[in-house]
Amino acid sequence: MEGPIIKVNRSKTGQDFSLKVKDLNFAYFRDPVLKAVDFTLEKGAVGLLGPNGSGKTTLLRCLLGQVPLKPGQVSVLGYDMAAQARLARAGLGWMPERGGIIPGMSGVGLVAYLGELSGMPARDAMQRAHEVLHYVGLADERYRKCDDYSQGMKQRLKLAQALVHDPDWLFLDEPTSGLDPRGRVSVLELIRDLAWNKDLGVILSTHLLADVEAVCREILVLRNGELLSRQVVDSQAREPKQVFEVEGFGGEEGFLAGLRAMGAEVVPDGRLHLVTLDLARLTGKAISEVGDEGFDTAAGVNAILGVAAANDYALRRLRRRPVSLADEFYSMVEA
Amino acid sequence: MPVYDRGYTHWEPSAARSWPAWWIIARRGIAEPLKRRWLLILLLMGFVPAIVKGGIIYFKLKAGDIADLLGGGWTSIEPEGFLAFIEGQRFFVFVFLAIVGAGLVANDRRDNGLSLYFSRPLGLNSYIGGKALTVMFYYCLVTLFPVYALCLFAYLIAPNATGMDLLLLTPLRATVYCLLAGGSISLVLLAFSSLGKRSIFVMVWWTIMVSGTETIAAIAEGLGKGSLQAVNFLGNYHNAGSLLFSSPARLDVNPLVSLGIVILWTGIAILVLRKRIRPVEVVS
Repeated sequence: MEGPIIKVNRSKTGQDFSLKVKDLNFAYFRDPVLKAVDFTLEKGAVGLLGPNGSGKTTLLRCLLGQVPLKPGQVSVLGYDMAAQARLARAGLGWMPERGGIIPGMSGVGLVAYLGELSGMPARDAMQRAHEVLHYVGLADERYRKCDDYSQGMKQRLKLAQALVHDPDWLFLDEPTSGLDPRGRVSVLELIRDLAWNKDLGVILSTHLLADVEAVCREILVLRNGELLSRQVVDSQAREPKQVFEVEGFGGEEGFLAGLRAMGAEVVPDGRLHLVTLDLARLTGKAISEVGDEGFDTAAGVNAILGVAAANDYALRRLRRRPVSLADEFYSMVEA
Repeated sequence: MPVYDRGYTHWEPSAARSWPAWWIIARRGIAEPLKRRWLLILLLMGFVPAIVKGGIIYFKLKAGDIADLLGGGWTSIEPEGFLAFIEGQRFFVFVFLAIVGAGLVANDRRDNGLSLYFSRPLGLNSYIGGKALTVMFYYCLVTLFPVYALCLFAYLIAPNATGMDLLLLTPLRATVYCLLAGGSISLVLLAFSSLGKRSIFVMVWWTIMVSGTETIAAIAEGLGKGSLQAVNFLGNYHNAGSLLFSSPARLDVNPLVSLGIVILWTGIAILVLRKRIRPVEVVS
């Protein structure tokens, strides 16, 4: 049998929590599933977005060291996953999309069993199983056989087993799959709590954009095995060109001419005018000078208000047009 | 603070020791079937031959040669008699191992359990070791453990028995045999289990492997083609075991040939297990 027992929850002091993927190419057979994927992640909530078959699950399996890798390609928590995957897995929690329960066991039995397999002493594992099942909201059902659980309960159980050994990183593969709207919201709230308040790194693999928007600070977009983009969620605020929706009445011609004179592009959209302003030009700041919060949209609003006031144009509506992650995602993937 | 009020807390490890993964897997694998009452009844039935043999040994030792008519070599307290007893337990070996072992890997494959196991810090050897130990335990439960009890019983009632034979050499032979044969049989059964996702499928193959090959061997013997008995799966183990128990061959095949066949089966089983047990289901 394999060497010494690995104690999970090693001392966190000075530990390397990063995930490093370097020029990762991977194929199960001949066709490559991942092509030259390259990124480094520090602890945080990261969404892994991509259409079906884009290689999301395979990338997670590479991060878990469940597939054969070449040395140096994937490093997790400071361990090279080609040779030291077992050591790294003590600090990783995995919630698979499909299956992922062992029939015949009670909820608490399953979670404790997997806790023990993660290197926990039997008593610790059992106590911790009760705790995490309470946390995920399965306290009353923990003694029931997991075969009889509903889909929502199974998803919570899978989350509990991924948490039992207090991992540094959680890899969640489609965690809201098959859930009703209420169940989906509550599972996302749990994940958000873990990522934002409990200091766990979370990689959320999904094709549901709303899930990523609800939980993640950053997204990686995969398409056909290639890492298409990496950006912070709500990165639209960092874009210098912002679109404003304007509606009003009065001196419209003068108002539009004033906007164009300011360098704005104006496109009619029904009763609205879509006004695109270059905030970098307007504020005199470069992209590198603005932080994660992005450009101050108030500058654009004030500029439009000024032009409207100068031309006696009475505004009925003025707001920055929200750009959803979905728009960005589809424009990227379909590009 | 009560558990229900804690929310999520980070785990603080206690000083208690943790067990190796193979032992945790084996412990669960052994305990799980014992929850079924009908299996316990079957298990008790598996001990009936040992009780009968114990009774016959007692009768033989007390009634002398008259009792020879009852069971021949099977009742002997010589090593050969114990190998014959293990051989006689093959029905229970077949049934128990089918019930306990058929789903061990197949169910994990069906329910994507392998992915869960291999997301933990355990390797292939620990997984296979734990599962094989489960099968071996049930194998020993109906073969080795009754032999121990019978040896002790025979020693206690035999007027001229020496502890050297009944308390040391015979149990030692039986231990070595059961560990080696049980280990090999476990690996072969697990290999079958890894080929399917339904335990019923594995049971069918196991039945063909054990009963089918025994039937073919019996037909071959009837036709006078003794060398064809080498197809007898469990028979080869007993035949090879005759080397260890210093008893006559159990088949019309050289015991060394049987040993070679057993080693071949074990090798194939290990290759199959290494190929089939992996956390990722790859569909071509």
